[in-house]
Amino acid sequence: MEKRRKSKGDNLVLRYLVLGSWALFCLVPILWFLSIGFRPRTEIITPEPIYWPTFSLDAWRLLLADWPIFDYLRNSVVAVTGSVVIDLILGIPAAYSLTRYEYRGRDDIGFYILSTRMMAPAIVAIPIFFLFRNMGLLDSVWALMLIYAAVNLSIVVWIIRSYMLDIPKELEDAARTDGAGDLRILWEIIIPACLPGIITASVIAAIFAINEFLFTLLIASTKSAYTMSVALANFTGGSDGVIYNAIALVSFLAFLPILVLIVLIQKHLSRGLTMGAVKG
Amino acid sequence: MARIELRNVVKRYGSFTGVRRMDLDIADEEFLVLLGPSGCGKTTTMRMIAGLEEPSEGEVVIGGEVVNEVDARDRDVAMVFQGYALYPNMSIYENIRFPLRMRGIGKSDQDALIRRAAEMVELGDFLDRKPGALSGGQRQRAALARAVVRQPQVFLMDEPLSNLDAKLRSSMRVQIKHLQRQLRITTVYVTHDQIEAMTLADRIVIMEKGVIRQIGTPDEIYSDPADTFVAGFIGAPPMNLVEGKAENGRFTAPGLVAACPPDISGRITLGVRPEDCRVVTDGPAELAGAVYGVEPTGETTYLTLRTGETLFEVKAARDARFDLGAPVKICFDPERIYFFDTETGVRLRAQPQRSAA
Repeated sequence: MEKRRKSKGDNLVLRYLVLGSWALFCLVPILWFLSIGFRPRTEIITPEPIYWPTFSLDAWRLLLADWPIFDYLRNSVVAVTGSVVIDLILGIPAAYSLTRYEYRGRDDIGFYILSTRMMAPAIVAIPIFFLFRNMGLLDSVWALMLIYAAVNLSIVVWIIRSYMLDIPKELEDAARTDGAGDLRILWEIIIPACLPGIITASVIAAIFAINEFLFTLLIASTKSAYTMSVALANFTGGSDGVIYNAIALVSFLAFLPILVLIVLIQKHLSRGLTMGAVKG
Repeated sequence: MARIELRNVVKRYGSFTGVRRMDLDIADEEFLVLLGPSGCGKTTTMRMIAGLEEPSEGEVVIGGEVVNEVDARDRDVAMVFQGYALYPNMSIYENIRFPLRMRGIGKSDQDALIRRAAEMVELGDFLDRKPGALSGGQRQRAALARAVVRQPQVFLMDEPLSNLDAKLRSSMRVQIKHLQRQLRITTVYVTHDQIEAMTLADRIVIMEKGVIRQIGTPDEIYSDPADTFVAGFIGAPPMNLVEGKAENGRFTAPGLVAACPPDISGRITLGVRPEDCRVVTDGPAELAGAVYGVEPTGETTYLTLRTGETLFEVKAARDARFDLGAPVKICFDPERIYFFDTETGVRLRAQPQRSAA
């Protein structure tokens, strides 16, 4: 590794060129819709190129006046946060059980939990719709919270489990001889030791939940349950036709929380996504 | 402070037997070392004393009480682990405090106990650090402090020094021994390092494949081994073991002729330690061979001879130098020759009037 980094065959210019192009490729669309979002509407639909766009908060004002953005944001935040909390409450003990206790069918249960993720969500769309209708939870943020939690639970369990597998058994043995019981070991030793894993799992679950579309579309029908992702898809700018600068601004707002989350955990992200497949 | 007894203890894992029919009586305040190669059941034995494994059969008794049904957390036992097992998220102070907290020792008493334990292992200046910021030796001492802080009835140490470098290991060895004498706590210590066993133990238990081969003081184990396994395991370099035949008071093997007790005959293995051999230039000698290797260690010179198929190690004079292939004659100390049954490995002892020549 060290040797490869130093070998003179590496051309730094070429390397930065490649990386720079890739970064540009990823960033331009984002910068583009950001720039559209803060331009006056007239500048967007003109055919001539505009090199020095005028800054304008028109779209922003339109959004605040006409569009219940804070309702959608609130719905997203409540449903996503709630689902992550549910996932952690259920997922941490499940992961611990799958790593540490010996019982019949343990690995099968572990695989079953993972396999729930493999199914195409559309398959259960109709049963879920009827289920929540019968419970009277249609168009409710609580329903979304439960669904997100259910969809992401498998991934939360598996990510946390992969981190727990790396905690030496000795640590628990030590805590036990020091006089700690099972719950205390989980709370004081295991959870702090795999905190990076728990954070990674939470953030990944949150990102999936923010982006969740199908079930949200199914359950939500008004602004009392619309989240950013569905509201964004339904948004055209109101009664005045398609208003691109407002759409761009909304897209950016929907994208922002995910950006923040990714920046927070980028160090752990690749590790979390390999889910313990590669030990090292 | 407590006496530990294992009564007929068996540990099975499925069809594999880790420990078979073990009886062991560890005296109060004794320093007992379980010694053996990896997989011999020594760690399993210790974990059964700790309560981290349940014996399949038999009883574990600590301080006169059968503790089979007592959970590890309720046995008054402190354990030091090979990998130190310090809690990575807690400072050293919190690590040492953990057992006190778990046992409900009053907050007001904790601080003094923690500082005293840290002083004992000379770690007073590092209490605020996290384990990750300490060196291997410091971590080891932190683990020791965590074990001593609550004055348990029993100390268990599972290869605590095996992750340290050689120099640190020998200085930690002295510290551990000193600490144990000072605190007078019954200690069971697991290792595969015979030097550690010899230097630390009041008594050594040598195990192989789940069976005790010999129990004794380091001296007994060294000078009175019960079988070829013990003879070959203890001592560095180990005892020379040469297979041959005995009849009419003579033991013969290729290149080797030695006197043996007249009541020993058949296929026999002769054992003699390198330090009980002497290089002679002329006169009668037990062994003749050619020099195979010369290893000066500074303190002494180890000479390896080849006789027939076997290599034979001899401790020679400090300044002894030999050419490879040169013929050499070796004399044994007649009081320190051991004979073993080749088949079973069991030591054959001379009858009371032993002929010495």
